[in-house]
Amino acid sequence: MNKTISTAGKPATLCHLRRVVAQIEGQDTDLSFDACTSTLGVPAIDRVLQGGLTKASLHEVAAAAWPDLGAAFGFTFALAARVAGRRHVLWIQTDFAALEGGAIYGPGADQFGLPASKLLIVKVPRPIDALWAMEEALKCRALSTAICELPNDGAVADLTATRRLTLAAREGGGFGFLLRHRPSPLTSSAETRWEIAAASSPPDGFGGLGHTTFAVSLVKNRRGPLGQWTVAWNHHERSFSALSFGMAQAAFDRLDRAPLARAG
Amino acid sequence: MNDTAAALGLKPGTPLADARAMYPALAAFDADPRADAILLEQVADWCDRYTPLVGLDPPDGLLLDISGCAHLFGGERELGRDLVGRLARQGLHVRIGLADTPGCAWAVARYGDISLVPSSDMREVLLPLPLAALRIGGETVSALAQAGLRHIADVIDRPRAPLAARFGELLLRRLDQGLGHEEESIEPRLSVPAYVAERRFPEPIGLEQDVLGTIEQLARELSRIMERRDVGARLLQAALFRVDGKVQRVEARAGQPLRDPERIQRLFLERLAVIGDECDPGFGYDVVRLSALLVERLDPAQQGLAGEDEKTELTHLVDRLSARFSARRVTRIKPCDTHIPELAAVETSAQFTRGELTSSPVQQDSLTPARPLRLLVKPALIEAVAEVPDGPPARFRWRHVLHEVAAAEGPERIAMEWWRDEQERPLTRDYFRVECRQGLRVWLYREGLYGRETAQSRWFLHGLFA
Repeated sequence: MNKTISTAGKPATLCHLRRVVAQIEGQDTDLSFDACTSTLGVPAIDRVLQGGLTKASLHEVAAAAWPDLGAAFGFTFALAARVAGRRHVLWIQTDFAALEGGAIYGPGADQFGLPASKLLIVKVPRPIDALWAMEEALKCRALSTAICELPNDGAVADLTATRRLTLAAREGGGFGFLLRHRPSPLTSSAETRWEIAAASSPPDGFGGLGHTTFAVSLVKNRRGPLGQWTVAWNHHERSFSALSFGMAQAAFDRLDRAPLARAG
Repeated sequence: MNDTAAALGLKPGTPLADARAMYPALAAFDADPRADAILLEQVADWCDRYTPLVGLDPPDGLLLDISGCAHLFGGERELGRDLVGRLARQGLHVRIGLADTPGCAWAVARYGDISLVPSSDMREVLLPLPLAALRIGGETVSALAQAGLRHIADVIDRPRAPLAARFGELLLRRLDQGLGHEEESIEPRLSVPAYVAERRFPEPIGLEQDVLGTIEQLARELSRIMERRDVGARLLQAALFRVDGKVQRVEARAGQPLRDPERIQRLFLERLAVIGDECDPGFGYDVVRLSALLVERLDPAQQGLAGEDEKTELTHLVDRLSARFSARRVTRIKPCDTHIPELAAVETSAQFTRGELTSSPVQQDSLTPARPLRLLVKPALIEAVAEVPDGPPARFRWRHVLHEVAAAEGPERIAMEWWRDEQERPLTRDYFRVECRQGLRVWLYREGLYGRETAQSRWFLHGLFA
């Protein structure tokens, strides 16, 4: 046990162990973990994520509180815009979620950095349909990102459902984002979990609004510590910039460390 | 009239009171022509199993063009026997006439003694039949009867001109059509698909996976035929013929011409998953037919080494999602050239939108995007405190929460289109991009110009910025 703890911090050992686990689980081990990440462009966050967001996996984003819905949409959109390339992005929305938070607005998307022409939108009647569509979309190699938006805390996406989605994402190789309108207490198999709140933008010097700003907190990270940051999104350059650095917290919810922490 | 009534000696035309007097327990029902018409349609649907060319002959007849199909059933006689037998098992009594012309078949089915008319004997068979067998109106028949003409034999060799002058052109035309001197075609009730594959089962199948398996096999056949002609299907239909005569038709659309059997099967998998409950197999299906109703040219494309083309894969994903949720729920955003915000982008079905949708760039005068990421379906009425006449809001209440405005950009005045009707035209809007103390960024507007259009302007929240 002690030995495991002492080596946990060494990336090389970790990488080796992950490969072993991947081999046991029958995954493709040709791709190294570093090659399938996409950076956020903020060194502090990328370091915590060990290179960036992992491809072919599921990530969760939730609005910290109800007025932060717009910010959570925006953060997810920004992540999708960064990784889109020339491929399409599929956005799945339940009817109720569209009623709550509005429908995606083309001109707004264009300006935000993700051209609306790259967007495919699926509106589904029930949350369970959204999961079905998400699984299909994640398996499709032609999409760079599939986003599934669920109203409230998205209780339908429980551990089993997210596990299915993770497997589908592994098959398709794209990014999967699960967007919940409220943080969920449910466990999930997502790689990372983010809680997003709106933050006051830095003043632009003319009394107007500054760059879109998010208060980002990473509340689950399977590959490293957690943290809180305030980042601004530059939609012209499609890049994040850090405004403040939060302290990284101990990763108590990491699956591999949780029992050790309890054991003391 | 049913069989029991006929066995009692009742005949069509007997007054109901008489019949009741004879048999007090008689149950009588009003005629229901609509239900009869629906039944006729259903039987016609069922007859699709023999030929795609089925025409309705209301109120009680069907015309089937079986040229080229009869040998599939072991010849015309066998086909006829099969049809009569199967319908009888469904409780329908039918009389059939098989002849070279629709007219002759019609006559034989209703008035003849035999059902199969060889081409050489058409004239002989028609001769003894009454004139009503010629599909001419009752008035003409009685007029002919007054002239002593009762059978086809009476008119067939008479001089044509006097007959036409006295009894109308129709008589001669029907006569010619019956004998095959004049062409007559059957008007099919369904358009005839260009490519069809079907399978018949001696024992009906009922399991969904069996049906899907059959569809995939049929898709293979269909794809071979279509490949030979370099076409792919845009609209596919699977017709499931239930043993008891009901026919269920399931359609699936493809965004691009489609030929891949597995993909065709996947589309029907989604369709059946949605309409599964309506599709009750009952005692099972004995015929499954897959037809391509709409085809488009599809040139053979070289397969890349890396496997499937991304574009094709995306199209197929869109097809599957559309099959599952309906095409209007799977959309792309199409920009429209108008400055009214809610009309500037419309959602169009992704399946039917081709090519790139490019939008014109919007002017940018701020560090924050000029348009929100999300637009509320219906602008939300809010309470706002603002300077009159056109100042930005200082605070507003939305969904019971008070928000203090920290910074605002605007107004961006958007007037409604002046060429619209003045009475109906909505009021001018002043839009503001607003950031609140907690960081919430929203798109608000004041409706109506203060003092000019309205005395008391209202505020709405229209969209959410990131």
